[in-house]
Amino acid sequence: MPEDKVIVNNLTKKFGDLLVLDDVSFTIGKGEFVCLVGPTGCGKTTFLNLLVKLIEPTAGEILIDGEPADPKRHSLSFVFQEPSAFPWLTVEDNIKFNLRIKKFPKNVIEERTEQMLKLVGLTQQRKLYPHQLSVSAEQRIVIARSFAMFPDLLLMDEPYGQMDIKLRYYLEDEVLRIWRETGSTVIFITHNIEEAVYLSQRCLVMSSKPTTVKTIRTIDLPYPRNVADPAFISIRQEITDMIKWW
Amino acid sequence: MKKTRFDRGNLKYYALSVLSVSLLLLAWFVYSSSANAILSTPMEVIERFAGVIRSPIAGTSLAGHIWASLKRVLTGFIVASAIGIVLGICFGWFETFRDIVWPIFSIIRPIPPIAWIPLVILWAGIGETAKIIIVFIACVMPVVLNTFAGIESADPLLLDAGKVLGANSRQMLLSVALPDSIPTIIAGMKNALSTGWMAVVGAEMVVAREGVGFLIISGMDNLDISLVLVSIVIIACISACLTFILNRMEGVLCPWLKLENK
Ligand SMILES: Nc1ncnc2c1ncn2[C@@H]1O[C@H](COP(=O)(O)OP(=O)(O)O)[C@@H](O)[C@H]1O
Ligand SMILES: [Mg+2]
Repeated sequence: MPEDKVIVNNLTKKFGDLLVLDDVSFTIGKGEFVCLVGPTGCGKTTFLNLLVKLIEPTAGEILIDGEPADPKRHSLSFVFQEPSAFPWLTVEDNIKFNLRIKKFPKNVIEERTEQMLKLVGLTQQRKLYPHQLSVSAEQRIVIARSFAMFPDLLLMDEPYGQMDIKLRYYLEDEVLRIWRETGSTVIFITHNIEEAVYLSQRCLVMSSKPTTVKTIRTIDLPYPRNVADPAFISIRQEITDMIKWW
Repeated sequence: MKKTRFDRGNLKYYALSVLSVSLLLLAWFVYSSSANAILSTPMEVIERFAGVIRSPIAGTSLAGHIWASLKRVLTGFIVASAIGIVLGICFGWFETFRDIVWPIFSIIRPIPPIAWIPLVILWAGIGETAKIIIVFIACVMPVVLNTFAGIESADPLLLDAGKVLGANSRQMLLSVALPDSIPTIIAGMKNALSTGWMAVVGAEMVVAREGVGFLIISGMDNLDISLVLVSIVIIACISACLTFILNRMEGVLCPWLKLENK
């Protein structure tokens, strides 16, 4: 087992009286691709927000590389559930935003930006503003922005929820490619079980509120995976049956 | 393109505007033509306007009067914008600063700018400075308030995005909160320019030897109602021009707002 990238110890989060996460503990290894699945409202977004310290836990702790998260030092990116492109920046300036914040050298910024524009198919639209594009294209800007810095830790909160199937399949392969090429650790939230089985090495299945990690299912099918493979289908079915969807 | 619908909407708007303005002019004409009306007819105003263009008033040409007022407004406006934006940012971003200075600001805020005229004249004399200070007071309030509101209500999702992308607090302010506030700040500046224009006219009516406010007063002193009306029309026209220019500037400064069709 490689060393731990993320350690979650007895994590509990309450919003007032609402107990959302109840004493959750698990670890994620360096370089691992993990999917979090669970019904809507079970606390998946809350978990990621806790992980990057946008909100504070009620009890317990989350550590990245053995210390509390600090986006200024850790190399991490976050794709929010809602499109979060900066409306006042053009497509390409949005992609450059964190490269500039993290003070990457100029030639790297230019090179990555070209690469990412091509990856998400927005080269033609590079000078446009997010509002001139569709919601799915806006989400592609944000994905490009997150991939651009080749983060050590890539966090994605239902990133492909708004997209049509073809684009989703394409971007699923792209996130796998980025993961493989950069050796980053990926935490990918989805409520699409097929997507989770297609992508992840381990799948964390969350129960509904108050949420705990119900099962951690290791998926050791080789990449690229085939959604029609009987082994694939049986794992998908197994996880689907585990979740109480309402 | 969705253009046609927009055009048709505009056409109706223009037709109705022309109609209502025509009715106003007609009413003016009818009333002022009656025997004992204390109002010049539109013809008399146009004649007076031609007269004003030909011969200077109190030693200054019409353009000179307009320029005198504009200079005061623009100077006060620019200084107020610079100071107002900085002050608004401080209110919106630094809590301690807000807690200390906001109460003082709240006391001053509701005072009409022209109420300061006597004090300002005592402090700054009757020269240009006094008038510019009055304009400044009038302009600075809307700029501060809008900048403050813009920074304070910056989109939390974008602030979160900036934070997790690793922005430090200076970058959060300059690269996220401030750009997100630009449309609100510009709205405040538009507001400031029109209140500044009102204030300069007020100040010039009290103490000045040139400027459009002075034109009104000299019309009143000489019982020259046509001149008063000419001045009022000029003031309205310049105000409209200033608004037009700022609207255009908004399009240039915030291209992401102008192009909001998907
Ligand atoms: N800031 C908040 N204040 C109060 N309740 C919240 C807040 N954020 C999330 N919740 C509640 O916590 C639960 C989990 O939300 P969330 O993490 O967004 O779920 P998921 O992402 O799994 O759909 C929901 O019931 C939601 O209403
Ligand atoms: Mg969510």
